[in-house]
Amino acid sequence: MVDLLDRSTIPLKTASIKFSRMASIINKISFENFFNYYGSFERNTYELEEGVNIIVADNGAGKSKFFNAFLWLFTDQILDSDTKTKLSIKNACLKILSDKAKVETPIGESVNCGVMVEYTSGTRKKYQIIKSFTAKRIDEPITNENSWQFLINDVEVNETELVLHRYKPVYGEVEKKQVIDRLIMPVFRKYSFLQGEEVDEIIDFSKKESIEEAVENLTEIKQYENIHNLLKTFKDNAFKDLQRKRKESSAQNDRYDQAVDEKEKFENFIEQEESKLKQWQETYESAKKHKEELDKQYSNAEKRKELDDKLKPARRKLKEKKEEFEEFLDRINNRFFDGNFAWIAMGFDKEVAKFNELKERFTEKRYQKKALLEVEKNPNDYFHVMPIGSPDAASLQKMIKDEHCYVCNRPAAKGTAEHEYLIKMNERPKNISSDINFVKNDLNNFFGNIQINAQPFYTKIEQVRDSVLRTRQKEEELKASIERLSKQVKAFESHRSAIVIAGHDDDISSQDIISSYNTAVRQMENARGKIDDIIVPNIRKYKSQLKAIETELNSLSKDNNIPSAYQENYEIFQDLEESAQKAKDRVFDEMINLLEEHANIHFKNLIKNNDLAGGILKFEKNPSGTIDFNYIDSKGNIVSGSSEGFQRMKKFSVVMAIISANNALYNYPLLADAPISAFGEGFTEGFFDAIGHVFPQSIVLVKELYKREDDMKINELGKRLLKDERVKSMYVNNVPKNAEQIELETTQTRLK
Amino acid sequence: MNDQEFKSLILSKRPRYAKSKIPVIEAFANKGQTKSEYSQFGPIYELYIYAFRLGLKKGLKHPLPTRNLTQDFVEIGKWKRDSSLVDFLLMVIFSHAEEIGFVWNELEDMDEKEINKVISGIIDFIESYANGGLEYLQEEWEKGSLINSSYLFVDLMNE
Repeated sequence: MVDLLDRSTIPLKTASIKFSRMASIINKISFENFFNYYGSFERNTYELEEGVNIIVADNGAGKSKFFNAFLWLFTDQILDSDTKTKLSIKNACLKILSDKAKVETPIGESVNCGVMVEYTSGTRKKYQIIKSFTAKRIDEPITNENSWQFLINDVEVNETELVLHRYKPVYGEVEKKQVIDRLIMPVFRKYSFLQGEEVDEIIDFSKKESIEEAVENLTEIKQYENIHNLLKTFKDNAFKDLQRKRKESSAQNDRYDQAVDEKEKFENFIEQEESKLKQWQETYESAKKHKEELDKQYSNAEKRKELDDKLKPARRKLKEKKEEFEEFLDRINNRFFDGNFAWIAMGFDKEVAKFNELKERFTEKRYQKKALLEVEKNPNDYFHVMPIGSPDAASLQKMIKDEHCYVCNRPAAKGTAEHEYLIKMNERPKNISSDINFVKNDLNNFFGNIQINAQPFYTKIEQVRDSVLRTRQKEEELKASIERLSKQVKAFESHRSAIVIAGHDDDISSQDIISSYNTAVRQMENARGKIDDIIVPNIRKYKSQLKAIETELNSLSKDNNIPSAYQENYEIFQDLEESAQKAKDRVFDEMINLLEEHANIHFKNLIKNNDLAGGILKFEKNPSGTIDFNYIDSKGNIVSGSSEGFQRMKKFSVVMAIISANNALYNYPLLADAPISAFGEGFTEGFFDAIGHVFPQSIVLVKELYKREDDMKINELGKRLLKDERVKSMYVNNVPKNAEQIELETTQTRLK
Repeated sequence: MNDQEFKSLILSKRPRYAKSKIPVIEAFANKGQTKSEYSQFGPIYELYIYAFRLGLKKGLKHPLPTRNLTQDFVEIGKWKRDSSLVDFLLMVIFSHAEEIGFVWNELEDMDEKEINKVISGIIDFIESYANGGLEYLQEEWEKGSLINSSYLFVDLMNE
């Protein structure tokens, strides 16, 4: 068999000139009345250098506007931050023009708005590109479309030799476009020109084209495909020639026809299986795409669910506490009338004392009165004096029973006056204690009962102040515990909202995400099973049977005495076609290996400031022909469900690998809008380090380094980067705090 | 008449309030209904007792207007049942016997007509001070000088 491929000569696309001589380096970017960049080009200029350039800006301080300037430059569009859609410049003039500039333009006057970029290409030429429009104010309300007439100016392109310093205009439209394209070639813009989340979109590993496109950009794989297709046509023609020759001789016609039929039958089988394979590959691919879309959400959903599991009881507890607090407040006034608190009694101590005094006086007077009445009625009962040695009740009873008086020692028989006297003596105390109705209305018990019943209230008079104090304390305690629970819930919630991906999975329940994720995984497994266990073995079987049939056909044709050249011709093309196929596959595989190798180098750089244990990125071909891209830990397990930042880091490594795997150095600047927002500080340093190795120039707009309270307005990491020799320039954008929209202007301070 | 009958006579009375005080009653007694912006009592009698206390402590004795300008509510016997609140209230009232115009011991010798007169005096006494208290609340409320807090009524008591 012919081996078309020498492994040492993978035809990588090579560029003969390196970027140190060919690279586009942006020297200057200026804005005029462009969004918050109020004022002339001179006022709003960033001087930039080869190497890393950092522009630090808080939210709303012109970060995405900066990016929009390049969108305008390259595509005549801007990204509307409100709707997240791209608007054509024609329809966005009112939005773009600085509000402060609008206010300051009198009716009838005009104002300019534009962006200007200067760049050097290689070592000789320098270019200037200006895109602008003029706005004429014709009416009062500044934010009304009808108050303005907009005129889009022709794009202005100037060039100069580096040694000359004097620009001369470029006139031709084609030439102008070339100058713009040379800044960053359209085919590379997606690697070079990225905004935040768009890193995710650059390399979508679920799309077959995506990685193939990258490989195509880097290799001459198309040539292999062309060779393969050509050889296949030659082979088919050779077979037709051979068949035609065979028909001319008739010796083994029937047997030969039969073999040809058989060959066609198996070719059909293979074709059928291949079409099935294609269908299942599509199923696999779409499930995989779905799974990958869900990947981020899934890991977030899992975390969210975990948080929800904590949030639920915390929220319930908070609700209960709040209800308890509400009820507590509602019931505070109950404490006035509840005998356990008796707040109403506060201040009534004099009344209570007075009552007791009156009660005493009442009782006293009443007994005096009663006693007087009794005495008047029955003086003998009250003034009878018992002689000394008078018998007690028990003795009296014995005397009555014995009918004998032991005091005077004489009989007292029943019925006699003596016996009657004994009985009278015995009953005497009872008569005295029995109540005599001496008042019309007996209110003794009325007052007595009041005194007894009212006790719960008047005994607490002294304690009411303490009780109120304790109630206030209890209120404070409840408030404190509500605050504590609220904080806890808030912490969970903010943690949760941090992992909710903006806009698209907030309203889908975590459960739904987890279940569609699992469905996608099942579909992938199912398709993989069909492909690996049934279809691919079938194809292999049919192919080997086909090969046997072809051998049989060969020997049948030999028998037919056909000129051997036909046979040899066919065999050669058969062989060549097979080799071309293999060569193509191998180029692809080699490129994938190379990308994997480079991606790992970048990835290690990116994560070197993090405590991630040394895992590796792995590219693997899957049944659908696309590339599986995984992070494998040191034990060989696939790590899934990592954070969004980590996922992005992985992809960013591949983007850089695509650039660095190219033999030549990359010739275009990186323009990145906050690509590190999801990375975290550990990654951020790695990021600046890594881009310095890959891009000849990078301009990074970043909010994470901003610190309003700091004199220089940058944080510690920002200060470290400022000292870093790879960082060639650093700007901080400022907007006045709490300014009205019409007052808003971005100014910039160069720190380096 | 025994103590029970005497007490029942008092408890069967339905004190009245001036109709002009309906807004302040609605604002500060929710009667188990909707909440107002202010700290509130539940049933009217709670506010009434509170107002009585306020009037008494502040010496605001404002007799009610004529009967058709007033309105009654639940009888005293139904104020916070199964509680000794009413007993405590009676304690306070009877400590003011002199002001109301009777002597405890004399009650025991009065005939029913005289007793009724005393009880009517007692009710007047409650009503006048409650009216005074309600008026005070109303004035403060209208002036806007009531500080809305859960301890509004506690604080007012301390003034």
